[in-house]
Amino acid sequence: MEIPFVLLQTILVPAVAAPLVALMGKRIGKYVGWIASAILIYTTSLLLIAGSTIWTTALPISETYTWSAVSFTLEFGFIADNLSLPVALIMNLICTAASIYSIHYMKHRIDELYGEENKSMHGLYHALYLLFPIGLVGVALSSNLIAMYLFIELVLIPSYFLLDFFGYRERHRVATMYFIWNQVAAGLFLIGAILASTATGGSFSINALSTISGQPIAFWVCLLILVGWLIKMAAFGLHVWLPYAHGEHLAHIAAIIATIAGLGSYVIVRLLAVPLAADFQVFGLPIMVLGLITMVYGGLLTLAQDDVKRLYACSTISQTAYSLVGIGSLTAMGLAGGVFYFVSHILGKSILLCIAGVLMMQTGSRDMNKMGGLAKKMPFTAALAILGSMILSAIPPLSGLQAEWVMFVGIFQGGTLQGALQFAIPVIAIFATFLTAAYTFWPVKRIFFGPLSSELEDVKEAPKSMTLPLFILALVSLLFGIYPDVVMHFLSAFF
Amino acid sequence: MLIDIHLLAWLCWIFPLLGAAMAILLIRIGRPIRDYAVVFFTFLGFLMALLMLPEIVRAESFNSPAFWISLPGGGSISIGMLIDPLSIILANIVAFLSLAIMIYSVKYVEHEPGQDRYWFFMSIFITSMLLLVLADNLILMFIGWKMVGICSYALIGHYYSDEEEHWLGGPDPFPFRTPSRAGLKALLVTTFGDVSLLGGIVFLYTYSGTLSFLELYQTADVWLAALATDPGALTLLSVLLLGGPIAKSAQFPLHEWLPEAMAGPTPVSALIHAATMVKAGVYFIARLIPVFFYATWIANYPEAFTFFAVTAAVGAITAFLTGTQAMVAVELKKVLAYSTMSQIGYMILGLGLAGFTSHSMTLGLTAGIFHLISHGIFKAALFLCAGVIIHTTGSIYMSEMDLSRRSMRYTWIFMWVATMSLMGIPPLSGFWSKEEILSLSFETGQFILFALALVTVAFTAFYSVRFMGKVFHKNDEENQEDKEASPIMLVPYGILAVLSVAVGAIGPWFGEQIEHIFEAYFVDFLGFEVHSGTAGSIAPAAQSTVPLTLLLPLLSLVMIVIGALPAYRFYVSHASSSEALVEGSGILQRIQMFLRKRWYINSSINRVFVDGTIRYRHLVQKYIEDPLDCLFNEGIPRLFSGLSKGLRRLQTGLLSINIQYILLFILLALISIVFLVVP
Repeated sequence: MEIPFVLLQTILVPAVAAPLVALMGKRIGKYVGWIASAILIYTTSLLLIAGSTIWTTALPISETYTWSAVSFTLEFGFIADNLSLPVALIMNLICTAASIYSIHYMKHRIDELYGEENKSMHGLYHALYLLFPIGLVGVALSSNLIAMYLFIELVLIPSYFLLDFFGYRERHRVATMYFIWNQVAAGLFLIGAILASTATGGSFSINALSTISGQPIAFWVCLLILVGWLIKMAAFGLHVWLPYAHGEHLAHIAAIIATIAGLGSYVIVRLLAVPLAADFQVFGLPIMVLGLITMVYGGLLTLAQDDVKRLYACSTISQTAYSLVGIGSLTAMGLAGGVFYFVSHILGKSILLCIAGVLMMQTGSRDMNKMGGLAKKMPFTAALAILGSMILSAIPPLSGLQAEWVMFVGIFQGGTLQGALQFAIPVIAIFATFLTAAYTFWPVKRIFFGPLSSELEDVKEAPKSMTLPLFILALVSLLFGIYPDVVMHFLSAFF
Repeated sequence: MLIDIHLLAWLCWIFPLLGAAMAILLIRIGRPIRDYAVVFFTFLGFLMALLMLPEIVRAESFNSPAFWISLPGGGSISIGMLIDPLSIILANIVAFLSLAIMIYSVKYVEHEPGQDRYWFFMSIFITSMLLLVLADNLILMFIGWKMVGICSYALIGHYYSDEEEHWLGGPDPFPFRTPSRAGLKALLVTTFGDVSLLGGIVFLYTYSGTLSFLELYQTADVWLAALATDPGALTLLSVLLLGGPIAKSAQFPLHEWLPEAMAGPTPVSALIHAATMVKAGVYFIARLIPVFFYATWIANYPEAFTFFAVTAAVGAITAFLTGTQAMVAVELKKVLAYSTMSQIGYMILGLGLAGFTSHSMTLGLTAGIFHLISHGIFKAALFLCAGVIIHTTGSIYMSEMDLSRRSMRYTWIFMWVATMSLMGIPPLSGFWSKEEILSLSFETGQFILFALALVTVAFTAFYSVRFMGKVFHKNDEENQEDKEASPIMLVPYGILAVLSVAVGAIGPWFGEQIEHIFEAYFVDFLGFEVHSGTAGSIAPAAQSTVPLTLLLPLLSLVMIVIGALPAYRFYVSHASSSEALVEGSGILQRIQMFLRKRWYINSSINRVFVDGTIRYRHLVQKYIEDPLDCLFNEGIPRLFSGLSKGLRRLQTGLLSINIQYILLFILLALISIVFLVVP
């Protein structure tokens, strides 16, 4: 099927719709969420069609548009190839599911904060929300560093405002903190991009990046872009913003923030590990070590949490670092596995963070010490929480295991090829994954099993509009788990 | 062949999967129909396994993998079913025991809560277990391996609300444990092993470039040579790979999850924690033995012997360790659980011995697998009997069970038959299989292992007679009220008990057949040659077989009597009182406490890992996270506000000071012009 401007549509349709959604919200209130979700379902199917084209033809889809021809030619374009398409598709899917989930969730939150009569806030929320898929998909698909930078910044706008308007405790302060951290990260990325363009002769195109390979400046480009994204990926030492941002954001926006963190693995692969492979070599071992430290530290930190939202927030730190270790191995399997792991993890993490939102909404508490026995009252929610935990803990038939073993083959290859000292890293890393099972299934017991306390006697199951989208995410993960070639077909062709 | 054998193997696990779908889909139609539909699909799975059985005599492997996943660099992984003697035997055992236990379940779960969950997870479990044994490559096997684990988690925690009647452990001063905690513990301990196993699989793959068992066998010379060039690699591989089976089969030191796993419904304990899942480790080790045997004895990499040394030692230690604990346990299901670990220890010991001499591979394999078969049958029977007994008496403690042989006549008979098989009384199946392991350990000259195994025979006899006495022979004549189980429950364990006798009747022949088939398959078909020429180093007893064949069985019979006689006097004839004996002796008291505290292994692990985590988990937050948080999110803002406060002081508003600034500026500007621009 040939659809004109398929990639541009994916970006533009939500952008055009956003102001309309804001206006319509004034009239129809929360129902505007269905319109926003319908738009996202449309863009998801566009990407699906693009995906099937790439699958059959094995050729990337690229679209180029002239942006400025006045003082110097600046072209921007989109490229959907074997690497960017699966990433874009999964992120758009998660945005879609979270959008449907948010209809009821936001009703609850807006009623709480702004009163039941307030309809315009719904419009504002859904309009702002539509900027997320634009930004995320834009980062994945853009073929040009400046466009990528703009999309990165575009994501920051709704995440700042939504946190400030609708977040939880200390939301104004946390919003500022989040904004500054991410602004610094984006700034480093921009400096790296400009530095790269000085060496490529003024071109910001990602394809031109490989021409600077071997020049001394490539090291600095790598370093700046890497550090910028390590902040966004919450690597150890640069992670302190993330528990706050996840913890105080709306539950499903926290899932989007986790997606941004994971997106780092895509960007590093796209910009650094592949085009600048030779220059990136020196960063391999430090990234692996940092990733390993973050994995263990994130795991221990997660175990320390009693707050159901912060719990899954801290687990993002650990899980994103898995991908870092995979990428740090700099083997084809490690890179492919790192991206696959991001795709898989984000499905599970979105489910879990949204479940945290359900729990907050239905029980009115976020302290796990006050929960217990909820499986009786909320069987679907409990099942979803277990499914999400299974994805993170790499329990088949869901996708976690497939991603993990592909990635660990790469990590072990990287270790074996480089000598004895590096060999300790894969072994420690694989044992560190044990922490994941501990910090996902222990909370499941604390929240859902055991006797039900009398205060929770009136808790009700979440509405279907909240659980069904999450269930679909679990089904997607099941598909990837049973037939992992759905993802690996693309990734294998790229690497 | 009526149906293509490859198709049979696929259908064998797909049918139970359909059963799982039925468990959900047919809820609305009605409970009895649903239950029987699920059982019917289990039966179809068994039928498929049974149809594969004739192929076993051909001692060949059938494998036609299909594309599954493409990998970077043009590689790909295919998956399929591997049909060879080992997988056929295991598939039949699993499918048969599953069917028996599923039939039994129909009645058992009739009044239990959460039946939908029960049928769903039992079916998924059977699917995964069959997938595990039929998988033709390591990663597919691992998928089955992890899935049985998650089913086990779900079924142990079946009574997740932790009502007091489902608690385990106790009585005071011993701690009570809840089902949800037991499920979590089982999941975490086995996950630890799984992580190690996955590491081993991935590590192996980086050298071998293949995950398929057959390809691993065929290219063993190439990849083993590559592995052997890196010192320590073979040892590391052995340890990583063995971590999985040790945890899954509840072997020392990762064995402490199994006693608590008894918190699930009894059919679950029978199927998962006695008959099948815990044997996955035995199966996997058996799968690997040809490779490591080749490495040790044919390719001559001495490091590969680690695999066998660890296996045999772990098996013997576990058999002994858990045998002692079974002698003092007070809960019926716990006795059976300890006994399961102990018997699996025997199997693992047998398999480990396979690599101790250059000609013992098939002997070791046979011993391990034969004991797996006979144990699967009699232990499933014992658990099913225990389920009925616990249900009838309403207590988990043997001391509160007031049954007599007249109140449950058939159950009494069947349970005794199974118990005698467990003790190893000839001519029941347990005798022959245990004897193979004992004689192998003697023949290979491993006298320490042999001694441990032999002492465990006495322990087994003691705890077997003890639990039978405590359950049925407390007050023989008083309780005559008929409490017999319903036929649908009685028939499954009746059949199992009869089968135990039947296999026993043909025991020596049966064992020989297995050995022939393994010989024909692994040696003749796959070409893992046995070098009889180099056999001289060990096996001093190999020549003097005539007295040995008589002496060893006699020795184990003596051990049975040594174990059974005191137990008979204490618990069956009540000729003397064990309590009085223990009361009277300080040492015995201490030993009893030591054993009942499970050698303090459980409490130590608990203290370090569980209590340690709970107590110290906040330290990370307090001493690393919070200071970092403070440094970045408060320190930097404070720095800036401090700077701005300092700078603000310059803004005084006094004209005289401002003029001084202007003069200072002009001065600096002049100096810089002079120094920078003029030259």
